[in-house]
Amino acid sequence: MRQNEHKKRVRIGYLMALFCAVLWGLWYIPGTTLWVLNPFDTMFADLATIHGDSVALVITAVLISAFNALTVIIALMVWNGGLGKLKEMGRTVRELKPCTKWYFLASIFGGPIAILGSFIAMGFVGAAFAAVAALLYPVIGSAVSYKWLGQKISKRALMGIIIIILGGFTIYAGGLIEDLSTGGGSLIGYIGGIMAACGWGIEGCVAAKGLDVSEPDIGITIRFLGENIIWWVIIIPVLVLAGFPMFTYAAQIFEPMVMLALMIAGITFGFCYVAWYKSFPLIGVGRGQGIGNLYGLFAVIFIFMFFGTVPEWTLILGGLLCVVGSLVMFTEESLELQSIRRE
Amino acid sequence: MAKNRPIKFRLLELFSDGESHWNSEVVKKVQAEYGMNSNYGRDSINFDIIELAAGGMLKEIDVKKDDDGTYKAGALLHKYVITDFGKIRAGDSCFFKK
Repeated sequence: MRQNEHKKRVRIGYLMALFCAVLWGLWYIPGTTLWVLNPFDTMFADLATIHGDSVALVITAVLISAFNALTVIIALMVWNGGLGKLKEMGRTVRELKPCTKWYFLASIFGGPIAILGSFIAMGFVGAAFAAVAALLYPVIGSAVSYKWLGQKISKRALMGIIIIILGGFTIYAGGLIEDLSTGGGSLIGYIGGIMAACGWGIEGCVAAKGLDVSEPDIGITIRFLGENIIWWVIIIPVLVLAGFPMFTYAAQIFEPMVMLALMIAGITFGFCYVAWYKSFPLIGVGRGQGIGNLYGLFAVIFIFMFFGTVPEWTLILGGLLCVVGSLVMFTEESLELQSIRRE
Repeated sequence: MAKNRPIKFRLLELFSDGESHWNSEVVKKVQAEYGMNSNYGRDSINFDIIELAAGGMLKEIDVKKDDDGTYKAGALLHKYVITDFGKIRAGDSCFFKK
C-alpha cells in the first residue's frame, strides 16, 4: 500500500508532464492562427516594408507574446481563485527572497530570453530549426538541475531524454536541412536557438528553487506576473520610445476572432505551464522537461488535425522515438524516485 | 513563527524541532492555524508535505494505517522527520532572515 501511494505520486508527476506536453502542442493552433489575424498580420506587413522581415517578425512577436502573457495570467488568476489559493498567493508573493525572486528570475529566462530567442531563430534561420533548438532544452535543464540543485538523473532517465530529443530531431529533420541550407549562415539566428534552449532549461531549475518552499499553482502565477511586467512595463514602452507604434496595433485587438484566439492561447499555455511546474517537485526538473518535450510530437499532430498539413515519414519515425523515450522513463522503478535528490 | 507565511514555510518550521511527526497531526495543526478546515484544505496541505518529501526536505520514517479514521479513514499515515537538506532550506529561505 505504501508503495502504491508512492507510485501514485510519481505517476501524477508524469501525468502532469504529459498534460503539459499535450496543451503545449495544442497551443500552437491559436499561436499560429494569431499571426494571420489582424492587427498582427497588418502589423507585420507594415513593419516589414520599413524595417525588413526579420525586425518585423521580432517586433510583432513581442506584441503577441505580451498579449499571450496577459491572457495566461487571467486564466491563472481564475484557476487559483477556484482552488481557493488567493490568500496563500498573497503570503507567497511577499516572500521576496525565498520565492518571488526565483519566480521573477524564471520569468526572465522563460519569457524574453526563451520566447524571443525562439522567434529570432524562426526569423533568421527557419521555423523547423527553431523547433529543434527548443527541443534541446531538457539537456540544459537536466545538466543544471543535476549540478546546481543536486537532483537525481538516473541512466534510465537520461536515456529517455536522449531518445525523445532524437525523436524531435527526426520530426523536424526535413525542415532542418532545408533551413540550414537556405537560411544557414545567419549567426544571430543560431544565437536565438541557443537562447531558447538555455532559457527554458534554466527556467525550470530556477523555478525549482522557489518551488521547494511554495506551491506550484502559485509559483507559476507569480512567474507570469513577472513576465507581464517585463513585456508591458519594460519592453513595449522601450519599443514605443524607439518609434514602433505598438499601442496603435495593441488597441486593435478587440475583434471576436482575435479575442477568441488569444483566450484559447492563454488557457492552453497557462495550464500547460501549471502542469509543468506541478511535475517538477514530484519527479524532478530533468524528467518533467523530458516528458514535456513530447509537445514537439503533439504540435505536429494537432497542426495536422486542424490545418491538414500532411506529415512525412520522418514524422512517423520521430514520433515513434518520442513515445519509446517516454516509455523508457515512465517504466523506471518508482522507488528510485523516493526522493528526487541525490543522497 | 511562520504564521501568515506560506504553508510550506510553516510545515518546515514545525519539523525544524528535529523530532518526527505524523502527517495527520501536522496537517490538523496547520488546518487550524490557516483556517482550512475542509477536507479539501486537509488534502491540499498534505500534498504540500508530499512535495516536501519528494524534494528531499522531509524523510518518511514510519507508516501506519488510519484504522480509527480519525484523520482519513482507510488512508495511510506517514511519519516524517526533517533532513539535513530540509534544515538548510528552512534556514536559508524561511527563517533567521528577518
